[in-house]
Parts: sequence; C-alpha cells; structure tokens
Amino acid sequence: MTSILISSSEEFSGKSSICMGLGKIFQENGLKVGYMKPVGNLLIDVHGSLTDEDSVCIKQLLGIDDPDKYITPIHLTDSLIDDALKSVEKDLDERLIEAFSAVSKDKDVVFIEGTGGIGGGSIYGLSDPEIARKLNSKMLLVTRFDSIFAADRILCDLRIIGNDDMLTGVILNEVPENMLERVSELVVPFFEKRGIRVFGIIAEDITLRSVFISEIVEELHAEVLVAQDKLEQLVERYFVGAMEVGAAIKYFRRQPNSAVITGGDRADLQMAAIESRVKCLILTGNMRPSGAVLASAEEAGIPVILVRGDTMNTIEKMEHLIGHANIKKEVKLERVIELIKNNLDLNAISRSIGVDLNI
Amino acid sequence: MLEKMFNPKWVAVIGASRTEGKVGRAVLENLMESSNNIEIIPINPKIDEILGLKCYPSILDVPDGIRVDLAVIVVPAKVVPGSIDECGRAGVENIIVISAGFKEAGVEGARLERECISLCEKYDIKMIGPNCLGIIDTSSGLNASFAANKAYKGNIAMMSQSGAICTVTLDWAERIGVGFSKFISLGNKALLAENDFLELFGHDSSTYVISAYLEGVKDGPEFIRISQHVSRSKPIVIVKSGRSSVGSRAVSSHTGTLAGSDAAYNAAFKQGGIIRSDSLEEMLDYSRAFSVYPLPEGRNIAIITNAGGLGILAADACSNKSLSIASFEEGTIERLQEKLPAAANVYNPVDVLGDAGANLYQHALDMVLDDINVNGIIVLVSPQAMTDVPGIAEMIASKIKTSSKPILCNFAGGSRIAAGEEILNVHGIPNYPSAERAVASMNALCNYYSIKNRKQHEPVKMDSDSEFAHYFIEKATSEGIRSHGLESMDILKAYDIPVVPSKIAKKLSDVISSAEEIGYPVVMKILSPDISHKTDVGGIRLNLQHADDVERAYKSMMSDVKHYMPDARITGVQLQKMIDGGKEVIIGMDRDPQFGPLLMFGLGGTYVEFLKDVSFAVAPISMPEAKKMVSSIKTYPMIAGVRGEAASDIDSIVQTLLKVSQLVTDFPEILEFEINPLMVMPEGKGCVAMDIRFTLNV
Repeated sequence: MTSILISSSEEFSGKSSICMGLGKIFQENGLKVGYMKPVGNLLIDVHGSLTDEDSVCIKQLLGIDDPDKYITPIHLTDSLIDDALKSVEKDLDERLIEAFSAVSKDKDVVFIEGTGGIGGGSIYGLSDPEIARKLNSKMLLVTRFDSIFAADRILCDLRIIGNDDMLTGVILNEVPENMLERVSELVVPFFEKRGIRVFGIIAEDITLRSVFISEIVEELHAEVLVAQDKLEQLVERYFVGAMEVGAAIKYFRRQPNSAVITGGDRADLQMAAIESRVKCLILTGNMRPSGAVLASAEEAGIPVILVRGDTMNTIEKMEHLIGHANIKKEVKLERVIELIKNNLDLNAISRSIGVDLNI
Repeated sequence: MLEKMFNPKWVAVIGASRTEGKVGRAVLENLMESSNNIEIIPINPKIDEILGLKCYPSILDVPDGIRVDLAVIVVPAKVVPGSIDECGRAGVENIIVISAGFKEAGVEGARLERECISLCEKYDIKMIGPNCLGIIDTSSGLNASFAANKAYKGNIAMMSQSGAICTVTLDWAERIGVGFSKFISLGNKALLAENDFLELFGHDSSTYVISAYLEGVKDGPEFIRISQHVSRSKPIVIVKSGRSSVGSRAVSSHTGTLAGSDAAYNAAFKQGGIIRSDSLEEMLDYSRAFSVYPLPEGRNIAIITNAGGLGILAADACSNKSLSIASFEEGTIERLQEKLPAAANVYNPVDVLGDAGANLYQHALDMVLDDINVNGIIVLVSPQAMTDVPGIAEMIASKIKTSSKPILCNFAGGSRIAAGEEILNVHGIPNYPSAERAVASMNALCNYYSIKNRKQHEPVKMDSDSEFAHYFIEKATSEGIRSHGLESMDILKAYDIPVVPSKIAKKLSDVISSAEEIGYPVVMKILSPDISHKTDVGGIRLNLQHADDVERAYKSMMSDVKHYMPDARITGVQLQKMIDGGKEVIIGMDRDPQFGPLLMFGLGGTYVEFLKDVSFAVAPISMPEAKKMVSSIKTYPMIAGVRGEAASDIDSIVQTLLKVSQLVTDFPEILEFEINPLMVMPEGKGCVAMDIRFTLNV
C-alpha cells in the first residue's frame, strides 16, 4: 500500500477533482483505491452524523464503502480550534492514524486530500505536511495558476514542506488560455531546473467552471416556476439584465450558455433572454413574471427561477458558485478524467509513489 | 381562402347563453341583428332554446343537412380544445375563439393554446383568436363579436391586436359616423395573424384603406413582402406600440413576445410601403383621409383661412412635414384679387379675412383648385362673429365630393363650429380639430401617392466566392468560434469587398518585419477574441513611421491591454497599411428577431455614434434602397462633399452595402456584423474595410 497527499496553497484549486480523477483512473487500472480527507471543513449532516461534503461526493463517485468516521475522522469546528488554542489534548494523531489504517486496509493506493491551504491546521498540528509525515505519505501540489504569482506560491509551499523529497511534483491547474504558452515555455522549465517536477498543465475548462441549474436553484434557495425538467444543464456564466433590450440581445446571444439575472418586472429583458435561448432566467426580488412570459419560457424549455434576494445578493452568490462548484455530477467527473488523461503524466505520478500503471 | 369566415350562411355559437351580460348572449344578439341571410345555431348542452332559436347540445348534433360554415366559441378555455375537436369532426372549417385564458394567462393557458393549434392543424381549421372580441364584416352583414357598438358600412378595414382598442375605435366611429368594411380582433394570433388579413384586405373589393393596431408581427419577412404588394393598391396605416423601453416591457408582459426593435419596424414599414402613425388618433385621422380623398399628385399645398394666425400655424406645420406652400400662377392671384377685399392676402396662405362668408371661401377655393401648381388644399375656418359656419361647411362638403384634389378642413374652435363639424360628418367628411392634424393627414396622402407610384425593384444579387465563404463559416462553426474580428477579414474578400493590406504577427521580431514588409506608415491593432472595443483598452496605434515606433507601440500596447483587460486572450497584433485621405463610415447588421438581417449605415467617428445618425433597411436590399440608406443620414453632405471638399466615392459605399446585404442574407448564422470603419476615398477611388467584427451562431 502506498499513499499520496494532495495539497495546495489555496482553496478551490482542484484538489478534490484531482483525487477523484486520479482515483478513478487508478481503479480503471485494476488498483484498489482508498480515499480520506482527514480534516473535514465542509461539514454536512448525512443520516444523522456530521461529515465532509467533498468526502461524501468522492466516496460515492469512487464507490468506496469505508465508514465516514474513518474517511473524515476530524471535523474542523470552532471547538476543535478553541481546544487547540487552550492546548486541550484531543488525541488527534491517534484518530488520524487509526482512521488511516482503516481506510488503507486492503488498498493499493490511498489518496489523502488536504484541507484548504497547505499550512492550514498548524495550530492543532495537522497542516498538510504534518499529516503527510505522520502517515508517511508523499505530497503532490495542485496550484491554480491564475497569474504568474502562482510560481511564487509554489516556491513558498516548498519551504513550508521543508523536505524536498516529500514533494513528488506539482500540477499547474486552471491556467488561463492567454497564459498557456508562457507557462509551458517559461514556467515549466523554470521549475524543472530547480528540481521540481511538473506533472502537467491543465487549462481553464469551461465545463468544470460551469454550474448546473439545479445547483443554482439549491444555492439560491430558489423556486422553479417553469421547465422543472430542464435543470440538469450547465451554465457557464451569468449576465445581469439591466440594460436596454437591443443591447441585451447582443450580449445574450454571444454567450448562449448563460443565466440571466433580472427583475421580475423586466418583461422585455426576460423575453430578450428567452428569444436568445439562454439557459436559465433568474428573477430576483420575489417578483413573479407575467403569465405570458412564463408561457413563452416554458415553450422554449428555459427554466425560470424565482429568488427572494435582491439582484446584488444574487450576483454575490452566483459569483461564488460559478468556478467553485463541486464535481457532483458524472458529466463533470468524465471531463475531469479526460483532462487528467490528456494533460498529466500519469506514469510519472504513479511511479513517484511506487506504483506502476503502465499506461 | 377566408370567404366563409366572413360570409357564412350557417353560424354556430358554441357556448351560447340566455343570461344577459354573458359573452355567449352578446355574441348571439349581435349575430341575430346581422344580415337576414345568416342562420344561427346556438350550442349549449343545458338548454333547448335561446331567444327563439333551437339550441343543440353539441355541434355534432346539428342535423346532417346543415353545413356550419363558422363556429364562434365562447366556452371556458379548458373546454375549448374539446369544442374544436368536435368542430373538426363536424367538418367546420372556420372558427373564432373569443374565450380568454390562453397564452396570455400563463403556462396552463399556453398548453391549451398549443392543443388548439394542433387540433386546427389536424382538421385543417382556420382559427381567429383565442382571446379576441370577434369579427365584423359590413358587406356580408356579419357581426360575430361581442362588441357593444354597431359598425357602419364603410371602406376602412381594421385589425387590432388589442380587443380594447377595437372597442374604443368602434365607439369613436359610431359617434361620428365612420364606417368599416371589415373589423377584426386578432387576439393571441395563435394561427391567423396580420399577414393573413393584410392579404385578405388587399383582395377585398369593399376595402379601400387598411388600418391596424399591432404590438408585434409573427413573420417579419413575409409581412414586408405582403405589404409591398398590397400597398401598391391600398394604403396601409399602422400603429405599432411598444416603441419606448417602458412600452416594450408592457408588450412583452402582455403578450409573451418581444416588442422588437423600433428601428427594425421603421425600416420594415418603409420597405413595405406602410404609413406608420404614432397614435391611435393619427391612425384614425389618416385612415379617414384615405377613405374620403383623392391622392395629391405632388407636395404643393394651398392654405385658405379666415384667420392669419391659423394660416401661419398651418404653414409652419407644412414646413415641418416637408410639404411645400404652393406658389400660385399669376392668373390665380389676379382672379383672387378680383373678388377678395383689398386687405385680404391673395398669396399663399390665402386670407379671406374674418368676415368672409361662404361665397368668398368658395371663390378662393375655386381659384386655388384650378391652379396647376396646387396639389392639395387645407381650408381653415375660425368662428368669427360674422362667420357663417354651416354655410361654409355645406359649400366645402359639396366641393370635396367633386374635386380631384384633396381638400382637408380644420373648423377650429368648440361650440360655435359644432354645426359645421356636424354637417361634414353627415357627408362623411372628417373635420380635423387642428391645423396641424389636417396637415399631418395631407402629408400622409402625399406620402402614399409616392408609395403607390414607386417603382418596384428586386434585391440585387451580388457575385461571391460562396465556396470559400461556406468553408470559412463551417470551419468556425466546427471550432465553436462565435466572435470574430480582424483575423477573419478574409470573409470580406469572398464577397469582393476591398480589405486593407495587413499582416498578423505574434512576436515583436515578427511585428517589426511585418511592418517593414507592408511599408510605413502602419497601424497596429490588438488581436483578441475578447476585445471588441480596441480603442478603449489602448489596442490601436496609428501612423507608426519606423521600426522604433513599432517597437514602442507594441510594448506599450501589451502593457495597456493587460492593464485594462487582464483576462483577455491576446493572439497577437495586426499591422495594417496606414490609409488616410478618406472618410470613415460604418456598415453593420443586427439580426432582428422579427425581421431578420437589419442593415445599418452611418458615418464613422465618435460624435456620430453619439448622435445616432444612422439609417436602416432589412436585407436583402435593392439598389435604390442601398442608395437611400446612404443619402438619408443627416450627415450625408459630409460624404457628398461640403464647402468645396471633394465628394467621397458614394458608389463604392452602395456597392459594399449590397455586398454585405448579400453576405448576411446568404448566411443566417451571422448574428451581428460590422465593418467599422470602412474608409471611403474620394470619388472614383473606392473604399477599403479597415476593421470588422461579427458574431456567428455556432
């Protein structure tokens, strides 16, 4: 059995996706895969007990049946932090090691997902490098390469890890299209020269940044007024409909996979969105549209969802949702696997933890 | 095709009612007051007889010998599909669904409406409505509506998308005795819509004038085609509401459709030969003018007044509408002088003075009517103490009946001119309440004279390398590229539109060598699918004279663009030959949801964008339409040559407009298109496209 801890210097860098994708690929190659996220920070209640949202999702997608209490043995709660600050002993290391031995039983590889940023959890002794040391795991760094400063972050992360041998390599994730050439021609050789292995570059991907209408409905606590059966579609971006109709039509039809946020009283913009065949209409302020508009939306198969919050509030939520949505659906998992297979050196990753995939 | 809809022998009322105040009763009563040739069959499963007529439980129970030509349906919305199905099985071919509660009411209503449509298609039934007032045909004597007013016989055909506006118009018409040939409430236009009735009115011998209130059209291109044809023989006057943003919001909310761009409607109406009125009042004013008067053969107008002030107002109004104040022949002036008092004004506007009686008015009118320089006359009457209002009204009415030139009157005032107005009404002649309204109607008559006599031109078919253009569009479609800019200028070459010599470069060294190859001075433009307004992000550098200029421009441009749009994908820069000595114009296209490709032309530059000085036409366009687009902008003199400046090559603009018209007609995938700027050189030296932008529906 071998294991690897997937870490990152920032949140929403793609750790879960990498765990999931690599896990699935390793499974396809006949390996028995285990998964754990030792410290759960996205706590949800599943059948009466607390666990982590990422864990539940990955557990299900990888078909792992280890109990939740081992997959995520520690929950990042206020009391955990307060106790750490008061130096109350909580036997976290024992819980960690006990859980790991349970999830690694009869497994070939265990993927361990870090919590938030690389140094997070230092106050209770469970930062990513500390966990890796305690479990005798190697680490893999996933970095969201949104600007050239990401290179600085990687070098800093290396100092946090402290031991160069512990880091197997890095994955440069979500690289904007306009930076791809620069990253591959300059950044990768820069790291390689310093002995840091780059396993691959994954460009920003529209499908993965997209969000399902059903997720929008859930996040905004919205009411679906029509086209309830059309919620499993992806929205790439959103527009705020506050402009004049002629201009709105131009914007809407340039980006058809979008959601339009507008007021319930803006029938003109609602119809412009429907005519432009956007993916979804989000009406704010709990103002219901006219029956005629709803009828047109239903005929066009465009979900109309009603939210109580005002436009500003809704924009904030959408801003958070798009680009940060979890990989809950098969469509996205398939895309993750495709991107990993096409862009990462899987043999190098597997060999770095002593497994031979031979792909 | 709709003969039996408007001239039925047997009419069934499904949902006929005994209860007063119910729509089912009102429809029945109106039908009973219709022509004696119409037989009425009430349908109601709960009763045997209504108002002395035998009532049947269902249309399927009507005896075999009776063939129902028209069924008027007034049952609740949810049972309407069942009634239509029965009509279909009974072989009824025409129905009017008056019932409301369909698409206008919401999702369930829309479902019912779709069900009605599919049943009508299944049985080949023609349907008016749902959610309408009904129809009236004064020639056949049919009143299949629940309107409370009666319609007089007349020659105006009216259709309206609003039932309430039908009621308002009928009420107004009843009071002043205006008649209609046909009156149609369109309702939700689920099947039959404005195009069907435009065609019907066009063929209807009892209709001289077509008027309509519309909130939108169902099939824009067909609407233009039919209007072009019908307007050659009959004037079409339309009020299209939802012009403002607030109005268009109301249209969308009311009908669940887009009100549509007003520029597109204006262009479509112009191309279709439709006279657009801004209000219901204007529509009725114009319709009455067309219904009564002959057309003036020119725009030279004479004004006869008994009050100087009114005459001046009318003259100003004429000037505002681009009507000319006619110059009288010498003989006319002499003959006017013979009878009019010395203080009178014998020049146009003719002032017969405040004490003028019917005789003096008649003399002036006769003289002016005889003048060959006069095409139409506006008569203004103010109620002075000694004015014989009824006598003047009688005299004018008799002149109007025999005159080959239009004589429009404004008896101005209130109670003291009421008698004159009444006399005109009796003769079916409109009195326009103000000089301005009389002039506006005169202008409508003049405009229609031009429309009626205009030559019809087919759109020009321009040559193109359609194979290349197809390849280009298919490639972009397969790659999913929606927004195109400078890198796609080759598509213009396929349509033989001259393009500025240019090169694309991605690295500084290539940028400099490209500039050297093109030859200085050059222009540098940023290439990015994410940047549409290059100037705003520092993405254009003009007049670069040597390699140093180019290098500085390149470095500062990259810095600027990254600063303003850090996320933009930059694919390089384009170097163009710097061209000067020309004038910048814009040719664009927006695909309008109702009418399709709406071409736009305007002068380039910042101020013109602000002034919105642009012209529009729906493609494909004819040669005269292309010329008109160019010449109709306010700043046309700036390209035609002003203050000794050389004229620009207008012919090359016209040719480019025709080529763009062809391109956007050939490829419905193009949603928006713009050549901006098109640099137009002095006459004979052509034009060249400097930049383009278009969006594909991929």
